[in-house]
Amino acid sequence: MLLTEKVKKVLLVDDDIDLLEQNKTLLEAKGVEVFTAESGEEGIERFAEVKPDAAIIDLIMEEHDSGFVLCHKLKKTDIGKQIPIFILTSATYETGFKFSATTKEEQKWIKCDGLIHKPVVIEDLVSKINKYYE
Amino acid sequence: MDNHYPKILIIDDERGLRLGTERLLTRKGYSVATAENGKNGITKGLEQDFDLVLIDLKMPDIDGLEVLREIKTSKPSTVCFIATAYASYDTAIEATRLGAFNYILKPFTPEELIHQIEKGYRQRKLLLEAETLRQEREKNLLEIAHEKSRLNTIIESISSGVLLINKDGKVVYFNRACLNKLHFEKLDIEDYILDKLPSEISELVQKLFSDGSTQKSYTTEVEVLEDGELIIEATCSPVPHPDGSFAGVVVVLKNITGLKKIEQLKSQFVSMVAHELKTPLAAVLGYLDILVDKSIEIPQEKRIEYLSRSDIRLKGSLELVNDLLDISRMEMNTKQREIADVVLVDIVNQALELQELEIRKKNIIVEKSIPIDLPSLHIDRDEAIKIINNLVSNAVKYNKEDGKIIINASSDNNNIKITIEDTGIGLNEKDLEKLFHQFFRAKNKYTRAISGTGLGLSIVKRLVEANHGKINVESVFSEGTKFTIHFPFK
Repeated sequence: MLLTEKVKKVLLVDDDIDLLEQNKTLLEAKGVEVFTAESGEEGIERFAEVKPDAAIIDLIMEEHDSGFVLCHKLKKTDIGKQIPIFILTSATYETGFKFSATTKEEQKWIKCDGLIHKPVVIEDLVSKINKYYE
Repeated sequence: MDNHYPKILIIDDERGLRLGTERLLTRKGYSVATAENGKNGITKGLEQDFDLVLIDLKMPDIDGLEVLREIKTSKPSTVCFIATAYASYDTAIEATRLGAFNYILKPFTPEELIHQIEKGYRQRKLLLEAETLRQEREKNLLEIAHEKSRLNTIIESISSGVLLINKDGKVVYFNRACLNKLHFEKLDIEDYILDKLPSEISELVQKLFSDGSTQKSYTTEVEVLEDGELIIEATCSPVPHPDGSFAGVVVVLKNITGLKKIEQLKSQFVSMVAHELKTPLAAVLGYLDILVDKSIEIPQEKRIEYLSRSDIRLKGSLELVNDLLDISRMEMNTKQREIADVVLVDIVNQALELQELEIRKKNIIVEKSIPIDLPSLHIDRDEAIKIINNLVSNAVKYNKEDGKIIINASSDNNNIKITIEDTGIGLNEKDLEKLFHQFFRAKNKYTRAISGTGLGLSIVKRLVEANHGKINVESVFSEGTKFTIHFPFK
């Protein structure tokens, strides 16, 4: 499955440069332009610069909640409100700390459009982004 | 007669009677002493422990009854006879009241005397036996009282709390340790306790009440103070009556806060290790998935880059496993430390050789100043190598292109000082504090591409300290880091 034509640019934020490179390669193969940032701080700058049509943010970077914090900030921007932003995580498996970002209670403080679990299954990611634009 | 010679004292002012009696009794196997008046009689009678005393009633100095009283007062089990020719009803009563065993009427036949004396000696033996029994009984009672106070002292002194609850749920006994284990201000005997105890404990107590069994014990853990400030383990056991029926419950309370903290640290450690092991594997798997996926076109140079990144990540996890093995060896104390004379310059050179390739790649300049006459280190050689290798490899790994590594050593009367300094990425203050912590890795734009286990420096610190040294670090962010080690002079 290819990405919808509505998505031309994707921003990936992850502090593991290898995972960043892999996800970039996988998404490029789906026909989009991929931009990367390696920290929450850089993520904000790149987001403003690139104005992506989707963003995927790793949860644990400098801090355990860097992804949540970045997501929260991005969702306050005009662009952030219009595009899908996903959080990338393996925390539920590793820490036993379960969250889904789907309940009302969670959506009060987790401002994202869904979770992507590691390791990334690219077809799922593509279908989640496409679904947002349906 | 038994094999012991009964000791008898004859107090009489009449010489003939004294001597005659002495001769008679000696022949019969008695050990005889004599006194010629009341005064001497009292002195001898009190000095020694006679079985029997024969006292003449009428003596010129002290009256026989007075002598009898003196002796009986301090030697109650000595059997005394009063001998007199002027027996009267009144004196007989008085003598008996004062403790005389019998009256012997003068003059007496040898048979009469021997008969009386033998009777008296049997009495003496009974008295002695009674005395022994009385003393033994007293001693036993003392022991029981002593045992009880000893048990009390023991129960008061142990660090575990002990609380005894009867069938009505009332406190029957508790020691002081009980109060701080339960975080109680005070507690009184006969207080109803079941509604005051943490519910986990009172439930177990009530369960034992309803079981009525005197066999089963139950144990539970209770968080007495929030946030794991005070965690106790309570063991509730039934206490039986002497006939075996159920009497109440004894609760023993142990503070396990420290233990719980260690347990928590251990699971944190395991979860961190799992995370650190999984991350590089996930990275390598990710590359392999892409490389084998025929639907994705990857240029040749990218393929090589992916393989070399995989190589780096796998080496990193191998390093991690080796570090973990080092830690486990240190913690199990299986390593036998072999103290040797270690020449610093040799191990520094070895460490630099190991890093030669990387040093050349980054075009790093090494400045080394180790005095020729620097005394040798008196530490374990393998551990010294590990310490220096680790610091030198960090100085290379975290250095910048065209950077510098400065290695100095010097000694004074007490210490050998080694400094390893780089012109690398440095550390900010917040990260500096946590530098020696397990699994700590500074996370910033410079460190992202550098692989590391987060264990190296925690191992270095432990090794330095195990060899009685000290390690310090100074650093300026993006300028460089300097490690200083002091080893005590041999």
